[in-house]
Amino acid sequence: MIVQTRIDTVPHDGARTLIFRWLVTFAVMTCGINSQALSAPSEISPAERPLSREIFFGTDVVPILTKLGCNGGGCHGKATGQNGFKLSLFGFEPTTDYESLVKEDRGRRLFPAAPDRSLLLLKATSEMPHGGGRRLDKSSDDYRILREWIVQGSRPPHMSDPHLLRIELSPHNQILPPETSQQLKVQAFFSDGSSRDVTQQTVFESNEPGIAAVDEAGLVTTGSKHGLVAVMARFGEQIATYSAAVPFATDATVMSDIGKQLDQLEASLDSSSIDLHLLHQWRRLGIVPSAPADDATFIRRVSIDICGTLPTAAEISEYISDTAHDKRERLIDRLLERPEYASYFALKWADILQNRGAGYSTSRQRAGTTLFAAWIRDSLDANKPYDQFVAEILTATGSQNENPPAIWYRTVRKSPEYVESVAQAFLGVRIQCAQCHHHPTERWSQADYFSLAAVFARVGRKSGFADAEVPTNEIIFLKDRGDMRHPRTGEVLKPKPPGGAEFVSGSHDDPRMSLAEWMTDGNNPFFARTMANRMWAHFMGRGIIHPIDDARSTNPPTNPELLDALAREFIDSGYDIKHLIRVITTSYPYRLKSEPHAGNLGDSQTFARFYPRRMTAEVLLDAISQVLDVPTEFPGFPVGTRAIELPDENVAAHFLDVFGRPSRMSACECERVDAPALTQALELVNSVEIQRKLSHKSGYAEQLVSSSRTSAELADDVFCRVLGRNPQPEEIKSVMDYLASEPDRAVAWQNLLWSLLATGEFLFNH
Amino acid sequence: MLRIDGHAYRNCQGITRRSILQIGAPLLGLGLCDLLHLESHAAETGRSASKKSLIVFWTDGGISQQDTWDVKPSAPSEYRGMYQPIETSVPGIVFSERIPCQAAIMDRLSIVRSVHHENGIHAPSAHWMQTGYFGPTLARNAAKNPSLGSVISRTLGSHQPPMPAYVTIPKLEAFGYQGAVYLGKAFNPFEVGADPNSPDFKVPNLSLPAGLTETSVDSRRSLLATFDKLRRDIDETGVMEGLDTFKSQALEMVSGDRMRAAFDLSQEESALRDQYGRHRYGQSALLARRLVEAGARCVNINTGNWDHHNDIAQGLEEHLPPLDRALATLIKDLETRGMLDDVIVYCVGEFGRTPRMNGHAGRDHWADCFSVLLAGGGIKGGRIVGASEQWGGGVLERLVTPLDLLATIYQTLGIPLDTHFEDASGRPVSIVGSGRPITELL
Repeated sequence: MIVQTRIDTVPHDGARTLIFRWLVTFAVMTCGINSQALSAPSEISPAERPLSREIFFGTDVVPILTKLGCNGGGCHGKATGQNGFKLSLFGFEPTTDYESLVKEDRGRRLFPAAPDRSLLLLKATSEMPHGGGRRLDKSSDDYRILREWIVQGSRPPHMSDPHLLRIELSPHNQILPPETSQQLKVQAFFSDGSSRDVTQQTVFESNEPGIAAVDEAGLVTTGSKHGLVAVMARFGEQIATYSAAVPFATDATVMSDIGKQLDQLEASLDSSSIDLHLLHQWRRLGIVPSAPADDATFIRRVSIDICGTLPTAAEISEYISDTAHDKRERLIDRLLERPEYASYFALKWADILQNRGAGYSTSRQRAGTTLFAAWIRDSLDANKPYDQFVAEILTATGSQNENPPAIWYRTVRKSPEYVESVAQAFLGVRIQCAQCHHHPTERWSQADYFSLAAVFARVGRKSGFADAEVPTNEIIFLKDRGDMRHPRTGEVLKPKPPGGAEFVSGSHDDPRMSLAEWMTDGNNPFFARTMANRMWAHFMGRGIIHPIDDARSTNPPTNPELLDALAREFIDSGYDIKHLIRVITTSYPYRLKSEPHAGNLGDSQTFARFYPRRMTAEVLLDAISQVLDVPTEFPGFPVGTRAIELPDENVAAHFLDVFGRPSRMSACECERVDAPALTQALELVNSVEIQRKLSHKSGYAEQLVSSSRTSAELADDVFCRVLGRNPQPEEIKSVMDYLASEPDRAVAWQNLLWSLLATGEFLFNH
Repeated sequence: MLRIDGHAYRNCQGITRRSILQIGAPLLGLGLCDLLHLESHAAETGRSASKKSLIVFWTDGGISQQDTWDVKPSAPSEYRGMYQPIETSVPGIVFSERIPCQAAIMDRLSIVRSVHHENGIHAPSAHWMQTGYFGPTLARNAAKNPSLGSVISRTLGSHQPPMPAYVTIPKLEAFGYQGAVYLGKAFNPFEVGADPNSPDFKVPNLSLPAGLTETSVDSRRSLLATFDKLRRDIDETGVMEGLDTFKSQALEMVSGDRMRAAFDLSQEESALRDQYGRHRYGQSALLARRLVEAGARCVNINTGNWDHHNDIAQGLEEHLPPLDRALATLIKDLETRGMLDDVIVYCVGEFGRTPRMNGHAGRDHWADCFSVLLAGGGIKGGRIVGASEQWGGGVLERLVTPLDLLATIYQTLGIPLDTHFEDASGRPVSIVGSGRPITELL
């Protein structure tokens, strides 16, 4: 059996290994190991039937290791390997994998003399103890392929081996009823002109397993939930995506009834608006959207979303009594002109642009964060076109004292941060995986990552005051030289944007200019779409691509036409941010109720109702201050400063920290979390600060105590002020009953106000 | 000791794989493949983990191994330090004379004398020991990982809500690395926020602010129930429901008797309180036991600063006897109550201290080889794992990494070692990485 190993197919450097392995094999045999296997023909598996074709390491073996999960991040693919056996993550480096598998550890992992006794196969089939359990069936094709590769001499990957050109996934887009299944098929095409079915060696992953799950064999199965689902298929370094819509209604008469309702709706909508893209999707999925919300709900919603501020009772009643047909548009215009709009969105951008106050000597730091925050706010206030806004930041040079956008370069200092911040903030792409290995679910390679890094390789810094971690007041300039090398190959990489061509530029040109030009070109596939999606998510509670900074072919938009239309609208308007906000806030879905009904129950992807979310930390704290008429005092800031106006995150405010204020460590909006926590509830229930505001001598509670109006009138006032609506009769009765039972008026109003502030109705924008 | 499935066959040297494991596979650098199998073995034996908890004495700043659990009596005086060796209850194991209470119960303790990592600065080292991973430094922009307390909180939760799963006494330390990071804010520790030894000890978060009475809290609770009528099915993200749960928990915590009782040390016999010691160490340890009884999964005692660069004798005289007494009394108390098999006690800092005294009669930072203490929860007692070099310095045998320590603790608590959590970028991160449980202790 040893003789059948073909020495002539092993390259020169492999021969020594092979001989060594042969010697080891011989020694092992003489020790008696495996004598059972060698002398027991009954153990010969059916898998010994030879395969007729040649087996290649890169296109046959590695995909199986990937499919079986051997090279996953939790197993042998992690940086430290597993139990002394390390593979490259997801098999993106076949050459090193070959070394590990064939040569390392004295070649003990393969046993050409008795292929079935190879450690590789014994472990994978769990015939020998394997921490990863049983991954491979002895009667499977995968087993046969691995075995055959050993039999054929376990040949290393070679340049002349056929390589994978592309894969085709079928079907790739369909409507799939609930409680059904669909088998996917993957065909791989190779450089030698051959092609074969690789479904079994393909890794499948569903992005919404609750709606449709996919098994290892590529069988997609839907359950009782409805919605949109994408299934990623990965074979080798190629990926493809299958999309399915699981309709809410399947019955023909129900569908026809829904169709009629949607016809009526369509007739009432402006045919040029983006609304039609939503309508189209509702029709496809058999969804009837919730009814539009009432005026009181709408003005509260849009005031919070545009200005980060609750509407006053007066603003609400004025809006409700307005009977003009364009009252919604006028309200939105008014809100966009308020200073709170610029402050609130400046806060958002200061998060994304990492205007960080922590980690420095704060007294010196604050001057810079204040300057940058003010520049952002002024830019938004002036409605500076978005392309210009971003270009000014990216290409900033000079003193950080004189050119505020250069302050971006204070937190964003090195190549991982340059690359990841730019990709995440402006291109909506998470490229960080590609720093260390090929991105597992997207086309990005390490070369893509470091070519983008090369754009910033000549960013220079001088002077600056460093009394702590990070210097302040630096001067940013373009260095004469600065190379970026591929970490593995050592090759010097030219500046190149992801998915674009190398920048052609001379030594006097700043590659960052080229990057800004590439980004802000009307045909750029990322830039406008990312902003359109970001703003859509801000107002609608969820991105069309979700999460918003994770655009991938394997994470497709739920409504591509809608995203395209928004991006086009944004570009055509000259990157007018306020225009984009108008388009979104005047859209039909933005005005819908948040309450679902039978026709859209369970919808969380198609915007057939408004998706509520908890007010963010700063907005919530400001809202409580506004309701109770007692400002929060921030150390070092004048009384009356609002939380949304703070320049950086390093202003002490426990409330803001527990409710999810981000620490601005990355450009990801996901850093701002709304995850519930006990500390949040304790902050509401027994914090000194809330009690101070409730019992303040000039606060709202005290104003109620000293008011001469009737309790019923006051109840009206309280509900409008806190919840933005009039109380129901039974609510008035509850208030009256409680007031009658509590002799201490001050305590009574404090407790009533607290209980309204703690309701979901107050805490959420809905 | 172990059961290995599959063929028990001999290798060329005639050593069975089983015997390799029995004599300590990592020493030989062989047989690693099978170590992981122990995990599934442990799972098969069905060791019930649901009752288990962890109490950590975090020696912030770094406790000196050579003045405590790894004395070098035959070394020159600048290495030996000022303490004499004493016998422990296990023949052949010697401690420093300043930890006599632990020496007396050595048969219930185990010491790992060969812990090693590769950073000598407080914050990054604290990250390493709290999370198992080398994290960010001033010069290294790496992601943060969740602390062991947060992992325990997330995977096991509280025994008995509303008692939080993860509590720190008095507050969060370890340079901020005792938090949950990407596991979510809900798994950050609950900070007690006050010194349990102070005569008017009260938990700020459980004590009502001035002007708010318990009657008012009751009124607020019932008024909230009256007015909080917004439909919950409008939010499919679970945030609203989660917040509702926490609101009830918070209201119960501030007004319910059970939580207040758990924190009320006056309910303990005065004699027992004296035994623990009337100092921060003693009363914190006693409080930790009460909190575990009331449902906490992981209690971190963050008491004292052990960063003794100058005049280490003075620093240790202040901190070591109270720690010794608190720790030993806790273990005996747990044993008396029949809880010792369910509660791991772990004493650890970010690193140890230099084997050789410096010019200021102190010891500096040392991560090359230092000691930690483990006891209870099913961990075997009376054991010494690993060894340092003759006068301290490097690992002589059985190197143990921070991840090995976490793997040992997680395994003992019954947390599957293949547990992964996704970080902010969606990348799955293992809770133990390359760490392997210290099988000698299990």
